[in-house]
Amino acid sequence: MIEVRALHKWYGDFHAVDDLSFEVARGEVVGFLGPNGAGKSTTLRIVAGFLGASSGDVLIDGLSVVDDPIEARARIGYMPESCPLYVEMRVVEYLRFRAELKGVPRATRKAAVERAMGDAGLDGYEATIIGQLSKGYRQRVGIADALVASPPLLLLDEPTAGLDPNQIREVRDLVKRLSASHTILVSTHILSEVEATCTRGVVIARGKLVASGSLDELRALRRADTVRLRLRGDTRAARAELEGLDGVERVEPEPHAIEGQERLRLVLTDADRCDEIVERAVKRLAELEVGVLEVVPLGSLEDVFSKLTEGDTPTASTEATPRARGREVRTRQRTKRAP
Amino acid sequence: MRGFVAILRRELFAYFVTPLAWVMMAAFLLLEGFFFFLLVLNYASQQEVVSDAGPVEAFFGQTILLYLPLLLVCPLLTMRSFAEERRSGTIEALLTAPVSSTAVVLGKYLASVLTYAALWAPTGLYMVVLSRYGDVDWRIVGTGYSAILLVGAGYLAIGTLSSALTTSQLTAAVVTSVTVLLLFAFGIGEFALDPGPARELCSYASVWSMMNDFSRGLVDSRRLVWCATVILLPLFVSVRTVESWRWG
Repeated sequence: MIEVRALHKWYGDFHAVDDLSFEVARGEVVGFLGPNGAGKSTTLRIVAGFLGASSGDVLIDGLSVVDDPIEARARIGYMPESCPLYVEMRVVEYLRFRAELKGVPRATRKAAVERAMGDAGLDGYEATIIGQLSKGYRQRVGIADALVASPPLLLLDEPTAGLDPNQIREVRDLVKRLSASHTILVSTHILSEVEATCTRGVVIARGKLVASGSLDELRALRRADTVRLRLRGDTRAARAELEGLDGVERVEPEPHAIEGQERLRLVLTDADRCDEIVERAVKRLAELEVGVLEVVPLGSLEDVFSKLTEGDTPTASTEATPRARGREVRTRQRTKRAP
Repeated sequence: MRGFVAILRRELFAYFVTPLAWVMMAAFLLLEGFFFFLLVLNYASQQEVVSDAGPVEAFFGQTILLYLPLLLVCPLLTMRSFAEERRSGTIEALLTAPVSSTAVVLGKYLASVLTYAALWAPTGLYMVVLSRYGDVDWRIVGTGYSAILLVGAGYLAIGTLSSALTTSQLTAAVVTSVTVLLLFAFGIGEFALDPGPARELCSYASVWSMMNDFSRGLVDSRRLVWCATVILLPLFVSVRTVESWRWG
């Protein structure tokens, strides 16, 4: 459905998108991940046909956004990042205008607008002036706009940015519902969002592809290689004991404010054995009568994410071509920073 | 030209749902009404009757009164069209819809021209009133309004381009005013310069002479070519400008 091929975008001297290639197959829900400023919005704008690329190609359903812009754009429902709307219009007026603009025939326009409003959860807000809507409802209008012409492909740029937790959940539920009938590319800088809604993730940082793969494969990346413990009691003995434990590479104290307690970081030699090592460690600590108050594996997806996207330059590329391929996880290994 | 009608409708909506068009219309009609009153009073008090001069002719040309409202109205009508969309970001939604850049520019432009025409429409009543107390040559009224529409359409095209070149409405309005003034001044060169090619050039581009001609019922094709240039050139550049944003 989307093919991004060797995309580059320069803003003057700034290389915003650097040799980015990935594909989104029909029916997939792909999370487009990256920290702020990674080039997500720039990439989506190029895919949506708002910006031209410096080089490279984007195909929508086999149509180039450069050579066949109108046909390509007709297949896309795009919600820009800040969700800009005409604030002086009423919701229904705006959506009718958008439907007409997108070529929905007059006969079906009214029904299309009603359906989009229903899908986006805007029932009852037909006559509200957009300028008077809250941020969450404006976001819904943006989503309804993306849906109104029933495009096969949805591009949602940070649809949950700036929403409260309830609204975030609603948007996630909506994306899930829409995934039954649409191919979706949704950008975000929050990993849990991808876990909640997507089947696959594409991670970029500084305009470059960092990793891409199915959700399970991304999850596999998050095996914990560090565990944080909060202990009470004879922590000196506990430390000595833990240092001698099989599978523990080293133990590092963490700053901790509460008297009589200590926080330690266990760096493991093998992340695959994390569960087993933790189990043994806790057993030994119990034998020493050291209170274990907290065990936190520090391999959450968030950590993987920051590890993947942190500032240091990649030392080795595991694959020569940056072309994204189906279900394969490709990770450009980065120097592991000393935790 | 996909999307042209939708954009035209939405722009007309934007003019007439916000108070802008109505406030402008009120101020404009107040001004024009006052001018018309002055003209009628002036001619009514004249002893000698000159065949090709009267309130109708003077209303459409021959006085500076015509150009003041044009200078005010045209920049105000067009300053919003692109500058505001780019500032607020709605341009992104507009340009990612399956519409051509030409449709976007022409939709917005035609909406401004129609609004401009709507401002002038009520002044037709002046002619009706006048016709009840004297003879009105309706052919003169026809050429007069055509000329006003043509000149205004040119100024609005310049305004549309200015609006596309900046993200500030104020800058757009100022650039339009200055350009229109310069064009006007260029035409005045016809009276200021010594005879020669430069003067001839100025006289071709003179809005003053054009309105004088049309207000006497003289339709000169050279004037029409000039008007078409002032309309089409800025619009063409506007379309290219809109295209160029995609490469920015």
